Amino acid sequence: MPVDMNLFRGFVEQIRQLPAMAQPTDMPDPDRVRAAKAVFADKLDARLASHLDACVHCGVCAEACHYYVQSGDPRYTPIHKLEPLMRYWRREKGPFAWLQRLITRDISEQDLEDWQPLVYDSCTECGRCSFACPQGVDIASMVGVMRQALAKAGLIPAGLRAVEQEQGSRGTVFGVGGEQLMEAVEALRARGYEVPVDKEQAEVLVLSSTLDILLFTDALESTVKVMNHLGVDWSIHTCAFEGANFGMLSGYEEVQKAASERIIREAIGCGARVVIIPECGHAYPAMRWDAANEHGEPLPFDVMAISEFLGREVMAGRLKLKSGQRRPVTYHDPCKIGRHGGIFDEPRAVLEALGLEVREMPVHHEMNYCCGGGAGLFLIDSAKKNRDLGFDLKREQVEATGASSLVTACGSCRLNFLAGADRVHWDRGIESLVELVGEAIDGPGGAS
Amino acid sequence: MTVAELVDGPLWTVALTVFVAGVAWRLLVLIATGWKRDLSHPRSGSLGGAIRGVVGRFLPSQGMAGRLRLHLVAGYLFHLGLFALLFFAAPHVDFYRDRLFGFDWTPLPHWAFILAAEAAFLGLLMLWLNRVLNPVTRLISESGDHAASVLTFLVMLTGCLALARSHETLRLLHFFVVELFMIYFPFSRLMHSFTFLLSRAAQGAHYGRRGVRV
Amino acid sequence: MNAYGLLWGLLLALLSTAAQAQNDTPPQSGIWIPNPGADLWKAVRQRGQPEPSTTQVQGLDSNQLINVAGEKFRDWRRERFIRYAAYLLAGVPVVILLFHMLHGAMKLEPSGRKLLRFDLYDRVAHWLLATVFLFLAFTGLLLLFGRFVIVPWLGLDAFSPIASASKEGHNLFGPLFLVALLWVFLRFVARNLPAWRDIVWLLKGGGAFGGKHPSAGFFNGGEKLWFWSLAVFGLLLSLSGLLLDFPSYAPSRELLVLALVVHGAAAVILVAFSFGHIYMGTAGVEGTLEGMRDGTVDANWARQHHDQWYAEMVREGRLEALSEAQENRAETTTGQLEEGRT
Ligand code: HEM
Repeated sequence: MPVDMNLFRGFVEQIRQLPAMAQPTDMPDPDRVRAAKAVFADKLDARLASHLDACVHCGVCAEACHYYVQSGDPRYTPIHKLEPLMRYWRREKGPFAWLQRLITRDISEQDLEDWQPLVYDSCTECGRCSFACPQGVDIASMVGVMRQALAKAGLIPAGLRAVEQEQGSRGTVFGVGGEQLMEAVEALRARGYEVPVDKEQAEVLVLSSTLDILLFTDALESTVKVMNHLGVDWSIHTCAFEGANFGMLSGYEEVQKAASERIIREAIGCGARVVIIPECGHAYPAMRWDAANEHGEPLPFDVMAISEFLGREVMAGRLKLKSGQRRPVTYHDPCKIGRHGGIFDEPRAVLEALGLEVREMPVHHEMNYCCGGGAGLFLIDSAKKNRDLGFDLKREQVEATGASSLVTACGSCRLNFLAGADRVHWDRGIESLVELVGEAIDGPGGAS
Repeated sequence: MTVAELVDGPLWTVALTVFVAGVAWRLLVLIATGWKRDLSHPRSGSLGGAIRGVVGRFLPSQGMAGRLRLHLVAGYLFHLGLFALLFFAAPHVDFYRDRLFGFDWTPLPHWAFILAAEAAFLGLLMLWLNRVLNPVTRLISESGDHAASVLTFLVMLTGCLALARSHETLRLLHFFVVELFMIYFPFSRLMHSFTFLLSRAAQGAHYGRRGVRV
Repeated sequence: MNAYGLLWGLLLALLSTAAQAQNDTPPQSGIWIPNPGADLWKAVRQRGQPEPSTTQVQGLDSNQLINVAGEKFRDWRRERFIRYAAYLLAGVPVVILLFHMLHGAMKLEPSGRKLLRFDLYDRVAHWLLATVFLFLAFTGLLLLFGRFVIVPWLGLDAFSPIASASKEGHNLFGPLFLVALLWVFLRFVARNLPAWRDIVWLLKGGGAFGGKHPSAGFFNGGEKLWFWSLAVFGLLLSLSGLLLDFPSYAPSRELLVLALVVHGAAAVILVAFSFGHIYMGTAGVEGTLEGMRDGTVDANWARQHHDQWYAEMVREGRLEALSEAQENRAETTTGQLEEGRT
C-alpha cells in the first residue's frame, strides 16, 4: 500500500524541528581536538593505516561519489573528507612522523568544524568510492572514523545529535518506546494478528524501528504476517525492539554500544538463535558487524536482515509466494545491506518469486548508487540540497530501466525516495520488499 | 674525489641503503600498527577476498570506465611503460647484472624499449597535467605529489637524454637523479608501489568476509 | 588579438627575403688555373661522367664519397637558413614587446559570472601539446643554434653532451607531438571551421584597424589561423621528423634533404607563431589563460572577445546554469552551513 503522503510530510516537518531539541555540546577548543585525536589513535590499525598510506591523490574516488558527480564540487572528493585523519596519521603515528611533523600542519579545532559538513552533510558512507579506488582505499570506513572523532569532539550536526541524545538518554527514538510499540501491536491484534511480545523463550527475536511504527506501518504488519505464516517461534521485545542506532549514525560510540547491548542482552535472554533486522539500512551493520566487536566476543546468535531472511526462506522453498501480475521493477540495493553487507541475491530471489521482472539499473549490485539520503543525512537540515542531488541521479538510474516501480529494503532509502518523488512529482512507485511479500501471503492468520 | 666517483660510489651506497631501509621501515610500521580482530561471524573467507582485491582492482569497477578514461589510459600507459623500462631496458639489465644481482635476463629489443619510453612519457605527462588541471586533484594534491611526479619525470628524461650511451656526463646525470629518487622514495607517495598491495588486500579481505566482491 | 595580423605580415616578409636570397648566384672567378688534384676531386665528387663506384657497405648512397647536393644544403643551412631563422625568432619577440608597450594588455572587467569554455580533456590535450612542443622547440633550437651560441660560449666539450642529449630527447619526444597534435586536432577542429566573419576579423587585424572589436565565434580569425597553421605545419613537421628519425628507410638522399628543409622551416614558423600565441594567452589578453587553466572564463571576457559565442551561450541558458551551480557550491561552504549546525 502506498505511504500516506500527508503523514509523510508531517513526519518531515517534525524532523525539521529536531535541531531545536538538541542539547548544546560545548567544550573548550583544545578538548575537542584532543578528543578527536584520541579516537583517531584508537581506530587506526594496520588496515586503515595501509589505506591512508596507499592513497596517491589520483582523484578517482570523486568520480564515484554521487555528490561530486552531481555537483562537480571538488570538496566532495571522498578522500578529501579524510584530510584531518590523514594528517593525524602522518604527524603522530606514521612511519616518519618526526619528519612529517616539520611539514604537516597539526589539526585545529577549526579544521574539525570545517570538516563537519564534509563528513556529515555530504557523505552517506555509501562506499562507492571505496570500490572505485584503484588502491583499494576503504574511504567509507574512514569517514566513519571521522564521524566518531567529530562526535567525541561534540560536533555532531544538531538534528542528528538531537536523536542521538534522545536514544542515549531515554532509549527512545522520536519519542517511540515500548508503549508506542504496544499501541502498534494492539492495532495489529485488533485486526486479527497474533503478535508474540516479550516471550521468555523464542527462536527468533524480531526487531522493528521507529520508522515502521510511525510511518511504514505496513512493513511491521508484513513482518508479523510472514513470521506467523512460516510458523516461526518468534517474539518482539518492548525493551529492545529498536533496530535504528543513532549512536552509529552520528558516530557516538557509547550510544551505539548501549543500543546494541540492549538487543544482545534480550536475544541471549530469550535464547534466540536469530535476530532479524527490519528494513533499516544501518541497523544491519550495527548488529551484524559492529556489535560483536563492541561486545568483546562473538555473538551466540545470527543476525539477518529481513530481506536476507525472506530470500533464504524463498530459496530454501519454505516460503511460497503468490505471484501477481508480471510487471517490471528495479531493485535498489541499500548501501549498508548490499555493498557493506553482501546481501544481493536474496532480495532478488524474493522479487522473482513474486513473479516480478527485475531490471537492473545502469550500475547495480556492488556499484549501485546511493539513494542520496542515507547515514543520517535525512536528519540533517543543511544536507537537503545534497539529498536532492542524490535523488536526481538515482532517478535517472531508475528511469533508465523503464521499470514502473522501485523496490528497496531500507526505510531510510525509502524516505529519501519519497521526499524526492514528492518534490518532482515522480510517477514511479516506491515499494518495500517486505510489504510486497506481506501482500503475497494470506493473512491475518495465527501461527499455523 | 671527483663528482663522478661520488655519484658512482658512496652516493649510490647511500641511496640504496636509504631506499631499502626506508621501504622496510615504512612497511614495518604499517604492519606493526596492528590488526584489529573482527569478532563478527564471517559470511565468507577473507583470503579469497584479499586475493580478489589485489587482482580485481587492476580493472575499473562496473560503470566507472567512462568517467575514468583519462586515468585508465594515462595510468596504464605510464605504469606499463615505466615497468618495462625499469626492468627490461637493456642498459638497466646490464646495470642489475653488474651492480646488483650478478645475473641478467633477456632485455627488450631497442624498438620496444623506445616504445615503452614513449608510452611512459605520454602517460606521466597526462597524469600530471590531470593533477594540475582537474579541480579535484588540484584540491587534494600536495607538494609531495608534485615532487614525486617531477622526480619521476626527471629520472625518465635524463635517462632518455643519455640514450646514445656516448657521454659519461649524461649517464652520471641520470644516475644522480635516480639516486635522488631512491632517497626520496620511502618518504613519499612513491611508496604506493609497495603499499598498494597491502591496501588492496586489506580492503579485499574486509569486504570478502562480508561476502562482497570488491 | 591584432598582434596576429602584424606577426603574420612580418613572417611573410622574412620568408620572401629568405627565398630571394637563395636565388642569388655566387660570383664567378676570372682566370682558369688547373689544379693538379682536380681530376681526383672531380671523380670523388662525381662531376661530369662519374665512374661507377662500388662498396660493400649496404645503405642509401653509401657508394658516394661526397654528396654535392648535401654540401650545398649544408651551406644553405648554415649561411642562410640559420641566419634568417635567428632574425625571425629574435624579431617576433621584439615586435611583441613593442606592441605590448604601445598597446598594453587588453583589460577585463570581471563580471564574476563564469562560462565553461574548455572541459578537462580540452585542457589536458592543449597542455600536453604545449609541453611537448616547447620541449621540442627548446631541444630543436639548441641543435640549430648550438654551434653558434653554445660552442663560442661554453666550448665544444660542453656542447657535445648537450647536443647528444638534445638529439636523443628531440627524437624521443617527436612522436609524442604527433599524438598530441592529433588529439588537439580532433578535439578542436569543429570549433575552428572557417567562417566569413573570420576573414573580416583577420582583415581588421583583430581590431587593430577599423576601430571596434570585430565579431568572433568560439574562436576568432587569429586563433583559427593559429590552429590551421599548427595543423598543416605541425603535420609537415611530424612527417618530416619521422622520416629523419628513420633515415635508413628513406627512399632517397634528396628526400632526406627535403625533409630537413621542411622540418626546419615549419618548425621555425610554428615557434615564431607560438610566441604570438603565448603572448595572447598570457600577458596580451586578460582573462584568457583562465580558460585553459580552470576551464571557465568570465562572462565579460566572452562578450568582449567572442561575442557570437557569448550570445549563443546566453541563448542556451548556459550562463544561468553555471551560475546556479556556482551558487550551489557557495552555499555548501562551511560558512553557510553554520545555520544548519546551530
Ligand atoms: C605555454 C604557453 C601557452 C599558453 C599560455 C597557451 C594558452 C592558451 C590559451 C589561453 C588558449 C585558449 C584561447 C581561448 O580561450 O580562445 C589556447 C588555445 C590553444 N593553444 Fe595554447 N598556449 C600555450 C602554448 C601552446 C602551444 C605550444 C601550442 C601548440 C603547439 C598551443 C596550441 C593551442 C591551440 C591549438 C589552441 C586552440 C586554438 C584554436 O583551436 O583556435 N598552445 N592556448
